[in-house]
Amino acid sequence: MTVPVAPGGSPEAPGAGPAPSTVRSAPPGPATIPAVRPGRHTARWVGLTVLVVAAGLIAVLATRPPASVVEVQSPLVGHTSPPVRGVTVDGHVFALPRAPGSYTVLNFFASWCGPCQQEGPELVKFAFQHQQSGDAQMVGVVFDDTTAAARSYQATLGASWPTLADPRGSLALSFGVRAPPSTFLIAPDGRVVAYIVAPVTAADLDGLIARAKASGA
Amino acid sequence: MNRRHFPLWTFLGVVLVVALLVGSGALSSTPPTPAQRAAAIESVIRCPSCEDLSVAVSSAPTAVTVRATVVHLIDQGQSDQQITDYLVTRYGSAIVLSPPASGWSVLVWILPLAVGVLGVAGLVVVLARRRRGGRDLDADVRGDSVDPVALAERRRFLTQSLADADAEYLAGDLSDADYLSLRQRDLARLASLGPVTAGADPVAGADPVAGASGASGASGASGASGAAGGAVATVTAAPMTDAPSGEGSPETAAGGPEKSTGRPGRNRWFLIAAVGCFVAALVVAVPLFATNRLPGQTPTGSVSLSPSEQLTQSLDQAAAVENQGQLGLAAQLYQSVLTGHPDNEVALAQLGWLEYRIGQQGASTTLLADARAKLNQAAALAPGDYAVHLYLGTMLLQQDGNAAGAADQFRMFLASSPPATVLQQAAPTLRTAFTHAGQPVPAGVPAG
Amino acid sequence: MNGTLGHTGVLLGLAAAVVGIAVLAVGLVRGRTSALRGGRVYAPLILLGGVVAVFAMQRALVTHDFSLTYVADNNSRSTPLLYSITGMWSALAGSILLWGVILGGYATAMVWRFRRRADDQLVAWATLVMYAVAAFFFGLMLGPADPFSHVTGAVPPDGLGPNVLLQDNPLVLFHPPMLYLGLVGFTLPFAFAVASLVTGRVDEDWQGETRRWTLFAWTFLTIGIVLGAWWSYQVLGWGGFWAWDPVENASLLPWLVGTAYLHSVMVQQRRGLLRVWNLSLVIATFSLTILGTFLTRSGVIQSVHSFSTSVIGPLLLGFFGLVLAVGVGLIAWRGDRLRSPGGIDSPVSREGAFLANNLLFVLFTFVVLLGTVFPLLYEALNGGAQVSVGAPYFNRLVIPLGLGLLFLMAVAPALPWRKSSTEVMRRRLAVPAALGVLVVVGCVLGGITGIEPLLAFGLGAFAAASAGRALVLSVRAAWRTARAAGQSPARAALAGWRGLVGRANGGMIVHIGVVVIAVGLAGATAFGHRGTVVLVQGRTGAFAGHTVTFVGTRTVRTPSHVSRQALLRVDGGGIFTPAISQFGSGTQAVGTPSVDSSVTADVYLTINSIPDKGGAWTFGVVVQPLVMWLWIGGGLVVVGSVLSAVPGRRRRPTDPVSAPAAGAASPVGPLAAGEPQVDDPAAVPTVGSPSPAERQPVGAGEAS
Repeated sequence: MTVPVAPGGSPEAPGAGPAPSTVRSAPPGPATIPAVRPGRHTARWVGLTVLVVAAGLIAVLATRPPASVVEVQSPLVGHTSPPVRGVTVDGHVFALPRAPGSYTVLNFFASWCGPCQQEGPELVKFAFQHQQSGDAQMVGVVFDDTTAAARSYQATLGASWPTLADPRGSLALSFGVRAPPSTFLIAPDGRVVAYIVAPVTAADLDGLIARAKASGA
Repeated sequence: MNRRHFPLWTFLGVVLVVALLVGSGALSSTPPTPAQRAAAIESVIRCPSCEDLSVAVSSAPTAVTVRATVVHLIDQGQSDQQITDYLVTRYGSAIVLSPPASGWSVLVWILPLAVGVLGVAGLVVVLARRRRGGRDLDADVRGDSVDPVALAERRRFLTQSLADADAEYLAGDLSDADYLSLRQRDLARLASLGPVTAGADPVAGADPVAGASGASGASGASGASGAAGGAVATVTAAPMTDAPSGEGSPETAAGGPEKSTGRPGRNRWFLIAAVGCFVAALVVAVPLFATNRLPGQTPTGSVSLSPSEQLTQSLDQAAAVENQGQLGLAAQLYQSVLTGHPDNEVALAQLGWLEYRIGQQGASTTLLADARAKLNQAAALAPGDYAVHLYLGTMLLQQDGNAAGAADQFRMFLASSPPATVLQQAAPTLRTAFTHAGQPVPAGVPAG
Repeated sequence: MNGTLGHTGVLLGLAAAVVGIAVLAVGLVRGRTSALRGGRVYAPLILLGGVVAVFAMQRALVTHDFSLTYVADNNSRSTPLLYSITGMWSALAGSILLWGVILGGYATAMVWRFRRRADDQLVAWATLVMYAVAAFFFGLMLGPADPFSHVTGAVPPDGLGPNVLLQDNPLVLFHPPMLYLGLVGFTLPFAFAVASLVTGRVDEDWQGETRRWTLFAWTFLTIGIVLGAWWSYQVLGWGGFWAWDPVENASLLPWLVGTAYLHSVMVQQRRGLLRVWNLSLVIATFSLTILGTFLTRSGVIQSVHSFSTSVIGPLLLGFFGLVLAVGVGLIAWRGDRLRSPGGIDSPVSREGAFLANNLLFVLFTFVVLLGTVFPLLYEALNGGAQVSVGAPYFNRLVIPLGLGLLFLMAVAPALPWRKSSTEVMRRRLAVPAALGVLVVVGCVLGGITGIEPLLAFGLGAFAAASAGRALVLSVRAAWRTARAAGQSPARAALAGWRGLVGRANGGMIVHIGVVVIAVGLAGATAFGHRGTVVLVQGRTGAFAGHTVTFVGTRTVRTPSHVSRQALLRVDGGGIFTPAISQFGSGTQAVGTPSVDSSVTADVYLTINSIPDKGGAWTFGVVVQPLVMWLWIGGGLVVVGSVLSAVPGRRRRPTDPVSAPAAGAASPVGPLAAGEPQVDDPAAVPTVGSPSPAERQPVGAGEAS
């Protein structure tokens, strides 16, 4: 095999070190090299960009409330509520609207749901208060639970309002319910006024009704 | 030689493309069956009551409902988009696991693409520029104020690169043309760095020391020391020698302080700044957590109550519950206190009073007897407690009809400075007692 | 007593860390080596504090000491001993304790390993950084995440018990500790990176010295992630193993940049290039472990794994910001010094492949990070409107990246350093490429469809064949070396084991493991079948080519739970028992799956519904092929990493990738550098070009 030949010139002599004289195309001296921008500040600019982006990310993350407190936006609010029809846990047929001219509080619950047990007494209180005035009625819907368990849960709670069984989950789907407790406030004209995903208190519900009435519902 | 090579790679390429075309189903495309459509939609819809799972994989009842609905709507002839919209109008936009490619959420699709393209473009630009040789890598080590350490580092790098290229060429990894071009480039750079001045590379000057020990010897010895678990931490920079054991460290020690001379000032400021930040963070954090302290909470945040504080807390709990009207629960709480502290007269008195009220309602003689016993015990333990005397007096009056005894108790009640509210509440009962006992009503009893 | 002991331990750890920082700071600022040497003792003290606290916590858990809030919330009298022990890391405060004690262990090991160099500023700075991180975590334990806080009020007679999902499977004994051994271990290279930036000694080979530590951490992180996937599969009942859950992503992000770092550091060791890349990758790895801890603990994103909301979220976020600011700031400050002395000569070279590797991994990390935090960003930007980013998004973007990585895995081992030509590559990769195409054709002929699985199988075969080729060459080189050293043929054959250890060869085995995992993933996700089978006792149903017979039922009662099990015989073979269990009282029932695993396919059984009185039970069946390949591949990855840590033949940087030149005196082993490179310029000719007689033709006879 032939000794490799440097392009365009004689082969390099063995034993020649890195001395300028044996290199064919010697580069020009230092003085004639154009001062090419060395890009020394690239690190600083990139670092600054990274820090700005990170600061933005941290700002967003720091201001997020815990996920369990955030409400899921419901596309139903402001629109006509889907039909509420079915058989109650006691076997009666039930359909909304039952008492025309009154607000309906539609509460999805389950016997295994801890927060539901927390809000239970509040619902009882609310139902009792508004039973007198007749301007709001309470309706419960069983979410992902057996009828028997739901019935005994309501009995223990002392709930006297109609509780719909939803064995196939179609009512939950039509209202877009993801987890209990979920409570909807439906105006007398059938519009969904509010959607609460956390345990409610009687005061919350009263406030919501007052606000709805004030805005002319 | 002019041998006809089998065009292996072309052949492989063609076969691969054909196989992929056939296999991907791009050639024979049948419209998706309803089951396939359902599966495709279900894999994109989130299970409403789960986190992060699609309805296709979840067995939650809500997922089952959604799957049934999807199948039903497909049977009704709705399109994929209509079905998705149907679900979104009920559950909201978060029910779809794949962010829509419209509005702000298109960012999540575009950003990775943009970053990828930018990255590739950047790399291509940098590599191309270097290949064209337009960039002078060594401009910073030329001129008047040249950093000897950096200069030495460049030289070491280039020398090693040359050796590297030689060895690779020897072993057949580099082609002739590649080898020559690399060698030329490195030699040119080395030459442009200027002549080697004596003492310019303090570290490399130590090379002959180790070099003299011979190639295999050095590698063998270091191999042995390396295999011995690296107990002697050989300080290494690539160009530094790895002389057997001891010689390595002095070089490091020589190299270390050298490099850090001239920088203690910066190091010190950095250190001060770091410590300052930490202290500032501490200063901010400590008051933040120091303010929300419960009674009995130590500054470190944990709550550790002494037994008496625990007792007080339990009694307060019971009292609160009793005021809410849950008599049974309150009784339980007092009982639990009594099991731990049988002589606690507050618990005795309150429990006795509760038992009296419950016993009265249910007309239970045992409860009433027990209540009386407890109240007497409490009175014996704490004669100065106003509550016990009030309870005893009330019981004597209402249960026994013993107005005289009640009056005695009420006198003791008045003598133990009861709070005004309690006095106000108890006033009618007091008056009744004194009147029935035929005694004058004491002055401290408010009217009405 | 347990509380006091625990607090003592935590205080000891924090005090040791703070005093250690002070002592080292004094030593560094004033140049007092006695202080630097004295600063070493605080690492064992931190570990001691952590151990004392762990002892106190375990004692409290095992003896059911409900005076501690943590024990009352996570333990009960009916909890079995195993789950009492694992209760230490089943909730927030205890897992911070685990983090702290592991960090103390790493700090002690580091101080011991570098004890001869305690005077060295580099080591001292690194130790200081470790102490600072330890101070942060122990400080968390004294305040917001206090594991030893006392219950308010009376001591409850019984506790709540651990989360039901965490007492279902003994795997909970291994998964979190291994994950933490991995995550915490990345503190060490980060500490050294910061130290090297602060002292300005950026061209020393601290990466080489800490290579095994980084590899150790990476191995355990890999084990932790694979175990997490296995746990998800065996326990959660949905038949899958990766849900792109935010918590899963949180553990994947540091793994991705850590893998990129492990590869990219090889370029720096060999050629001194990619310095800024390596420092950035190390800092990114550690920062992502902290960000991951924040995402997991703060409750900002809710997920299957998410722990309860806590106040340490802002603190972790602040620490993340601090770490990032320090790291990026240091790199920006030292920017001029960090420039490599040279550049990559050609994109078609090993260096070029590693650079492309870095880019792909960074893009992968970016995709996963963006997908995880995007819902939060969107909500912040859009005033409450929400969007979900789930598996469809991740799969769509990640699969092409994964295929690209498979391709690089195939090509890179055959690429020489510096520069290469297509001739060399074509010759070396011909056989592996042919194998890959053969596999694709075979799959298509076998009826497998879908471009992504086909590409995965083909590229996987390509990569595995390339890795196999590298292993074969290195084993042959080991034989040749043994023969050249004069051993008999039999002994020389045994000496071939040397071809399987060391950095490069262990790495090839790891690659083969990754290919096995990729093939398993492709098979399981693309060709799974899900369905339900409704059976009355005694009947048999069929699904996706397997038969399921409902043999009987059984009720099992233990102090902690009551389970109703169904006995199912699969394919006329073994009996499998999916169950529904009720823990404690009133809580929702938890389903337990049962899996018939084989190398070809898994049949995954769950109970979907039990009828109230006799009737048909509904069972969920998921048939997924090649799931076991995931676990086998994971095992191979671990084996490969362990082999990679074994020191191979020492290698000099000028030793070529290929076989020894004819007549060369020094034994040239495979690319198995167990220790950092040695430069011995006197040994290798640096001047002139080699004589033609010495040279091998291009692309011929290589050892690696």
